[in-house]
Amino acid sequence: MDWNLLFSSYANVFLDPTVLLMTLLGAVGGVLLGAIPGMTATMGVALLIPFSFGMDLIPSVGLLLGIYCGGMYGGSISAILIHAPGTPSAAATLLDGYPMAQKGEAGRALSVAMFASFCGGVIGALIMTFLSPLVAKVAMKFTSAEMLMLAVFGLSVIISISGKSIAKGLISAFFGMLLCTIGLDPTYSKQRFTFGVTSLKGGLSFIPVLIGLFAVAEVIAGVERIIAGRESAQAKSTEKITRVLPDGKTIKQIWANIVSGGIIGTFIGAIPGAGGDIAVFVSYAFNKGTSKHPEKWGTGIPNGVAATESANNGCSGGAMIPLLSLGVPGDSVTAILLGAFIMKGIQPGPMMYVSELPTVYKVFAALMLANLAMLIVGCAGVRIFAKIVSLEKRMLYPIILVVSLLGAFSINKNVFDVGVCVAFGVIGWLMNKYEFPLSPILLALILGPMCEQNFVRFMDLNKGDFSQIVHYPIAVGFFVVAVGVVIFSLLNQRKINKREAEALAKAGGENISFAQE
Amino acid sequence: MDVKKTQTKAFSNLIASIVLIAFEVWAWVQSGKIKTAKNAAVQPSAFPRIMLVGMAVFTAVLLIQSIIKLASMKAGDPLAEKAESLNLFKDKGVLAALFVIALCCVYVWFFKSAGYVVVSFLLSGIIMWLIGLRKPVPLLLISSLVPLGMWLVFYKFLTVNIPMGWLQFLRDLVDKI
Repeated sequence: MDWNLLFSSYANVFLDPTVLLMTLLGAVGGVLLGAIPGMTATMGVALLIPFSFGMDLIPSVGLLLGIYCGGMYGGSISAILIHAPGTPSAAATLLDGYPMAQKGEAGRALSVAMFASFCGGVIGALIMTFLSPLVAKVAMKFTSAEMLMLAVFGLSVIISISGKSIAKGLISAFFGMLLCTIGLDPTYSKQRFTFGVTSLKGGLSFIPVLIGLFAVAEVIAGVERIIAGRESAQAKSTEKITRVLPDGKTIKQIWANIVSGGIIGTFIGAIPGAGGDIAVFVSYAFNKGTSKHPEKWGTGIPNGVAATESANNGCSGGAMIPLLSLGVPGDSVTAILLGAFIMKGIQPGPMMYVSELPTVYKVFAALMLANLAMLIVGCAGVRIFAKIVSLEKRMLYPIILVVSLLGAFSINKNVFDVGVCVAFGVIGWLMNKYEFPLSPILLALILGPMCEQNFVRFMDLNKGDFSQIVHYPIAVGFFVVAVGVVIFSLLNQRKINKREAEALAKAGGENISFAQE
Repeated sequence: MDVKKTQTKAFSNLIASIVLIAFEVWAWVQSGKIKTAKNAAVQPSAFPRIMLVGMAVFTAVLLIQSIIKLASMKAGDPLAEKAESLNLFKDKGVLAALFVIALCCVYVWFFKSAGYVVVSFLLSGIIMWLIGLRKPVPLLLISSLVPLGMWLVFYKFLTVNIPMGWLQFLRDLVDKI
């Protein structure tokens, strides 16, 4: 590695006022867009790419990476505050972020999310700087067999996010996988469960389902609680935010989650087709599984927010690895970035490391700067964002509803999606009421298409002989790890259930008796 | 406190598994209507059917767990707690939730013809009134300005064309400005 060139490239980027300004503007736009349910980082980059046409390469990359990193963090804001993940990769953040907000710790949850996002992004950028050719080589060995087993590995974390009942979690997951099969079958284009509805041919859109399951369901449940007298309509958070960054004690508590999340995020992000939405759940399950108190996960602890947010932003560095070293985009945002590079006359790929090494280093520096800009914007915004939950519930719920429904519409500009969003709001409300976890549906919706497409492709290539999978060592490795995760999660869940039963018995379960029917 | 067995979480799980089994049977029948592909190693109906079998296996687990729990329920068991009700005649909260769902359906129906701002104004206004915001000024201001502001952000800055229906003139006005 040419250290002199590396440092001079970093200095060039960090001392260029145009790059600084563009990256900061990108981060502001990204955070704001990401915080709107339905607006993803991809949409943000796609929307603002025309503004980068007239700029030099590095300021335009800074702008786009600012949106990317800002959008990744922005998604967590609405997940924490209103139970509506702004982006799919913020879906796991609400597992602990929203309960924290409910406990009056919205500001703390936001600052942990921001700090973890920054650290995860920096970890991703560092791994990208030093290990990109190596990681890319491993990632590009992935065929349909490895991708199938990667999806199976992703699904193995379902038990960790199933809550009290594993059976209910798995029913939710299979239901989610079933939902993925609605529409035209991806290989032979045969209609499945469309019932003659044209809008269903393309399948269910992920974002309206996500918004419905979480945001709309929460509004319906909130109205129910208020009318039944279980929640005050005037309830609002009175949390006073004294600091925008987590204190030393919190950092000590979450640093291990941040580091592991950042590394998991980077490596999953480096695999083309796998992104932040998968990484966050894997990181959550890994960190919960290795925690001394797994029973506290999901009740509103900063560790849960840190584990998911660092993985989320770690992906930004990971996704850049195959883009720069092989010319293969790791996710949809880097696909747009690839277009930006080509427009500027630069072809990412192995030769870029030979002919355009200063540009490569400048892109590394721009990613680092984008994470720093995201931190600055986040720090400036924590107090403002947290004000949302200081609104009374009787004002907040209707606002969440109309904003969420608009988010559902904006994805495909289709009223049908608004209907889908409402329908899944009802499903989510019922599932919450009867304690069927919602997160496994989400994970299944993310991994289902990847699982099916690669399963069918693998079976077609191997003439229907699934046993050929043993000839793919990485795939077998993923499968073994997946089995290990399932066994470990089952044991962990047993421990959680035992501790919860003990706590319930102590808390007065003995007061419950049964009337004879 | 006295909890009837039919009001427990174990009983609600039993009902949920019966409903799910009915759904799985229906979905299985529907999957039989998917057209077959020639020379395919995996038919288009195979994956949904694998998922249905998986769902059915764990529904059966839930059903058996519920039956065993109901037969040998002890005080202090988490599944012996009272389950949430869906009875709209006994629970005002459920009635309100169903009313919100009905409002949302009407909202979707009129989204295109009346426009986002109008239907959102009505939906948010009615819900605010329902859950206790009776002061007309904040009610009218919030329920009109939020949808209007959101429309403006999406239309002007994010270039997302949102149906304006009865307020189409606003778009023309904004375009002129």
